[in-house]
Amino acid sequence: MATTTQVRLRGRPAHTRGPTFLSYTPDGTKLITVGSNNTTRVYKTGFDGEPTNIDDCPEQNTGVASTDDFFLVGSEDGNVSKFSLETMAFDKYITRCSLPIRDVTLSLDGKWCAVSSDELVVKIIRMNDTSSVMFLREQPKPVKHLSFDPSGKHIALSCTDGLVYVYSLINDEPELVRKIDGLIRTLETEDEISSKVVWHPDGRAFAAPTATRDIQVMSRGDWENQRTFTNGHNGDITALAWSPNGAMLASAAKDWKVLLWETKTQKVIATYDYADVMDISWHPTKNLLSFTNTEGWVYIYNDFVPEEHSHLLKLPLQPAPFIHDPLSEISANARRPITNGLKDIPNRGARRGTPDSLDDILGSDIMGDEDDFVVDDDGAGYASGLNANGKRPNGAVDPYVGSVNKRRTQAWEPQIHDSFQPGSTPWRGNRKYLCLNLIGFVWTVDQDTHNTITVEFYDHEFHRDFHFTDTFLYDKACLNENGTLFSCPPNDDTPATIFYRPHETWTARADWRTQLPKGEEVTAMSLSDSFITVTTSAQYVRIYTLFGIPYRVYRQKSSPTVTCASWRDYVLTLGNGPVGADGNTKLLYTIQNIKRDEICQSEDVVALPEGETIKSVFFSDNGDPCIYDSTGTLLTLLHWRTPSQATWVPLLDTKLLSRLASGKKQETYFPVAVADNKFHCIILKGTDQYPYFPRPLLSEFDFQIPLSSKPKADSGDDAEAEAENESDELGKFESDFVLKSVLTAQQQDLVDFTKSSHSQRTALARMEVEIDKTLLQMMAVECREGEERGMRALEMVTLLRDSTGRMIEAAGKVAERYGRNVLGEKIREVGEMRLSAMEED
Amino acid sequence: MALPLQAGLTPMEVAFLCEMEMVTVVPRQRLESLNLLSGPTPILRPPHRAPIPLWLALLLKRQRRANILPPPWLLSSSLERILKYETETSPLAFSPPPPHPHPVTSRSSPTDFVSPPFLPSSTADAPPDYLPYHWLELGEIFLEAASDDVPEQDRVRGLLRDLREVRMSKMRGSIKGLEGEGGGVSKMTGVGAMEVAEGRGYIVGVLDGLRRLGSSREVARREREAEEGGEGSEDEEMGFE
Repeated sequence: MATTTQVRLRGRPAHTRGPTFLSYTPDGTKLITVGSNNTTRVYKTGFDGEPTNIDDCPEQNTGVASTDDFFLVGSEDGNVSKFSLETMAFDKYITRCSLPIRDVTLSLDGKWCAVSSDELVVKIIRMNDTSSVMFLREQPKPVKHLSFDPSGKHIALSCTDGLVYVYSLINDEPELVRKIDGLIRTLETEDEISSKVVWHPDGRAFAAPTATRDIQVMSRGDWENQRTFTNGHNGDITALAWSPNGAMLASAAKDWKVLLWETKTQKVIATYDYADVMDISWHPTKNLLSFTNTEGWVYIYNDFVPEEHSHLLKLPLQPAPFIHDPLSEISANARRPITNGLKDIPNRGARRGTPDSLDDILGSDIMGDEDDFVVDDDGAGYASGLNANGKRPNGAVDPYVGSVNKRRTQAWEPQIHDSFQPGSTPWRGNRKYLCLNLIGFVWTVDQDTHNTITVEFYDHEFHRDFHFTDTFLYDKACLNENGTLFSCPPNDDTPATIFYRPHETWTARADWRTQLPKGEEVTAMSLSDSFITVTTSAQYVRIYTLFGIPYRVYRQKSSPTVTCASWRDYVLTLGNGPVGADGNTKLLYTIQNIKRDEICQSEDVVALPEGETIKSVFFSDNGDPCIYDSTGTLLTLLHWRTPSQATWVPLLDTKLLSRLASGKKQETYFPVAVADNKFHCIILKGTDQYPYFPRPLLSEFDFQIPLSSKPKADSGDDAEAEAENESDELGKFESDFVLKSVLTAQQQDLVDFTKSSHSQRTALARMEVEIDKTLLQMMAVECREGEERGMRALEMVTLLRDSTGRMIEAAGKVAERYGRNVLGEKIREVGEMRLSAMEED
Repeated sequence: MALPLQAGLTPMEVAFLCEMEMVTVVPRQRLESLNLLSGPTPILRPPHRAPIPLWLALLLKRQRRANILPPPWLLSSSLERILKYETETSPLAFSPPPPHPHPVTSRSSPTDFVSPPFLPSSTADAPPDYLPYHWLELGEIFLEAASDDVPEQDRVRGLLRDLREVRMSKMRGSIKGLEGEGGGVSKMTGVGAMEVAEGRGYIVGVLDGLRRLGSSREVARREREAEEGGEGSEDEEMGFE
C-alpha cells in the first residue's frame, strides 16, 4: 500500500531557477548536476559538505551524462562539452549543433554518445574518435529524449511528433527498426513534461509516460503493450527511472508527487511530495535516490526506499513486467533456441547470489569480479535517470543466459524436446492462438482476471462463430468439424480440466468437463472424429470418447511426452527417447489404432537431422501422419500401417521454394495442415516465428520432393535458356514421377488396410495410370533428345506399372514417332518378356 | 445498316472480356461445382483456394461468399518495381508481358496459341513483376469491387495511376516513330488491352492526318516514279493501312 513519508528533506540550492539535470557516475561515487547557471556541481556520495564546482562551463544546460572518468554536458548554445572528472576541468567539445541541444546520453559501455538537438538529425558519436558520427535521420521533427538500451544495440528516440523511433545500431549503418505510434504524447522540446522512454535494465522492455498519465511498459521483442503502471499520478509525468535492478520504478509528475512503484505488482509502495521534479537518478547500488527540480534545487535522498521494501534493492536483476513473460512462461510452446555450437550447453538460467557471500560482505561498490553477473548488474549500476549510462563488463551478454564458460564446467545434461500443442502459438502481448487449422481458429485474450475465447470458422455457413468468457484460463484447444476441446492447467486448488463442446447437439446440453487427478497437467491433446487423446505430465495417455467416457489409459513408453495427434481411430504419440549422438534426445513415435487395439508402429524414431526440432505434427486429410521440422521440411510417413515398415519421406522443402530463389526474401512458414495434396501454411515475414493478429491469410504450396535446387532465373543467352528449358521439363517430370509414386503408395496402403470404397479404388487405379503417363512423357522427351539417350528411355519403359501391355505398346509408338527403331525393337522385347512372365504366373 | 461504332473494342467491351480472366478466391462458403459453358468450376470449400473466372468471383464477392486474392503483380512492391522499370530501366519501351506459362518449344503444340484471357496471368500463382494483358481493367475492377482484399489499396491505386500515365505518354511518344518515310513501325509488346483500345482512336486519327498531309507528296512522287519506270510503288500503297 502507498505510504506517505512525512520526513521533509531539505533541498540543496545548486543552481539558479530553471531546468536542472543530474547524473550518477556508474561507480556511484559522484553525482553531477547541471542547471541554468554556468556552474556544474559534482557531489561526492556520502560526503555532505560543499560540492566541487566547475565554473567555466556554458549556461542554460539541457543534459548531462557521465562515466567514471568524464561527463558530457549539452547546452542551449548548441555545444556538447566533455569534462574530465579527474582534473575537474573542461576537456574538449564533442560536437556542435546549430540549434539548442535537447538531450545527451551515453551508452552503458560509455563508448557511444547520442546527442539530440532542435535539428532534425540525431548524432551518435564514438567517444574515442569524435569524428566518427552516425546520423539518425528518419524522424520528421526534433527529438526530445534519447535512450540507449542496456546492451547499446538499440536506441529509442522520443520525437516531438508523438512517435517513438527505435533504431538498431548493430550494423555500421543505423537502421530504423520500429516507429511506435500511440505510446507517448506530442510535446515541445522545451516542455518540462517528459516523454522519455526508459529501458528496463533487463533490456527486453521499456517504459514510457503516456498521455493518460500512466506509465506503459512495452516489450522490445514484439512491440506489444505489456503491464501498465496506472492510477498513480494526477499530473503529467516529468521524470521516470527504473531502480538499478529493475525491481522498482520511480516517477515524478506535475501533481507535486514522487512515486515509487514495485515492478512486479505495479503498485505504488511509497509516495513523496516534492514539487516540479525534473530529473531522477538512482544510485547504482545504495538505497539512495537523487532528483532535481525546476527551482535549481538538488535533493539527495538517503533511504528513499522505505525500510519494509528495502529488500527489493538487494534482489538480483528482476524481469520486466510482462503480461506473459516468455521466459518464465511454462508454456507448451516454449521452445529452446535451435541448438548449435555453444548453445548446446544446458542453460540453467540466472545464478542466484550466494547468501552471505564475500561480495555481500564487501559491499558491491567494488567492481572487481567481472565473472559474477549478479555483481555486474548491481554494481555496474544502471543509473536510469536522464542518462542511462554506466559500465557493465558483460554488456552484450543476455543476463538470463549467463556466461558460457561458467556453464562449461557444469555437469552435462541431455537436451529434451519440450512438449507443445500443434497449431498453437505462445502468448504475445495479451493474445495467443490456441489452435489454427483448416476448420477455423481459436484465440484467447488475457483480460487480467479472466480470458475471452473466440472460435471462428472458415465456413460460415456450416458453423457459427462463438465467443465466451473463460474463467478457467484455458491454454490449449483443438478444433474439428464436430466440436472444440479445451484444457486448462491445474490451479492451486482446482486440478487440470478438459472441456469439450460439440458444435451441434440435439440434447439440451452436450458439453462436458472432466478433471484430471490432482497435480497432473495436460502436455498436449488432440481431437479426432471418434476420440479425444490427452497426454499428461504424469506420462499417461488418456483417451476419452467424444462424450467423455474414459476409454483407455496407458502410460507412454517414451518420456517426457512431447505431443500427440489423432485421426479417426489412430493416435500418434510423440515422446523423448534415449539421447542421440548430438546430445539431444531422439524423438520416438507410436501409432496405434484405439478401437482395434492394434499397435501400428511402436517406439519408432522420428527422423530428424542433427540438432533440429519438430515444429508440428498432424495427420493429413487422407490420414497420413506428417511432421514439419525446424529445417522447414514437411515429411510424411509411408507404410506406417505395417509395423517396422515405416519410412519418413520428404514432401516439400520450403527452403527450396522458387519464391525464395531470389535470396532477397526472408520468410518462414507456420505449418497448418496438409490437405488435397497441398501444404497449407502461414507465411511469416522476416524473423517472426509465429503468426499474430490480424490473422494472416493461409497460403498453400504444392508438394515438391527435394530432388535438386531450382536454377536461378535464366539470364540472357537464348540457347542456354532453351537447354535449361529442356532440363527443366525433364526435371519436372522426374519430380512428378517420384511424388506420384509416394502418393500412390499411400493410397495403396489406404486401400489395402481399410474397408476401401469404390471411389478410393478407382482413384488408386487412376493414379497408377498417371504414373505411367508421366513415364511415357519422360520417355518422349528422351526420344526427342536423341538416339544416345535410348538406354535411359528403355529403363523408363521397364518402370511402367501397367500389366496389360498397352502402356508398353504406347511406348513403342512413341519411339517409332521419333524414328528410334532400335529402341522400338528393345521395347517390344521388354513387352514380350513381361507378357510371357505373366503367363507363367 | 452499319452501327455508328468505331472500329475496335470499346472500353466496356474490353472490361467485359477481362472478366473471363481466372482469379484465385478464398471461399467463405461451400459451393458445389457449377457447369458453365467454359467448363465446370472447382468445388469451393473454405478455406481452400480455387481458381474461378473473375465475373463469378465478383458475384461471390458481392454476396460476401468469397474473398478474392489479388494477383502478385497487383501488390505495391511489385508495381513499384514495374514502375521503376518503366521509368528508369527502359524509359522508351514498355515493360515486358509475363512469360508464357506453357514453354514454347521448337515443336508446335496447341498451347502455343493460348492467349489472354485464357492464360492464368492473374491468379495467385501468377508471376510478379509483369503486367499482364488485362492489367489496367483488372486493377480497376479489383480496386472497385474488392478493395478490402488489396493490401495498401491507396498506394496501389496511386501506382496504377502512375503506370497508366507513364505508359500513356510512351504510347503517345511512339507516334513520333510512325511519322516520316520508311518508319511507321512501333513496338507494341507488353501493351495492355485497354491501352490498345484507348490508343486506337488517337493513333488512327494521327495516322490518317499524316497520310492526308503526305498524300500530295505521295502523288508527286508516284508521278515521278511512273515517269522513271514505275517501280516499287506497291509497297508504298500498303504503307499505312
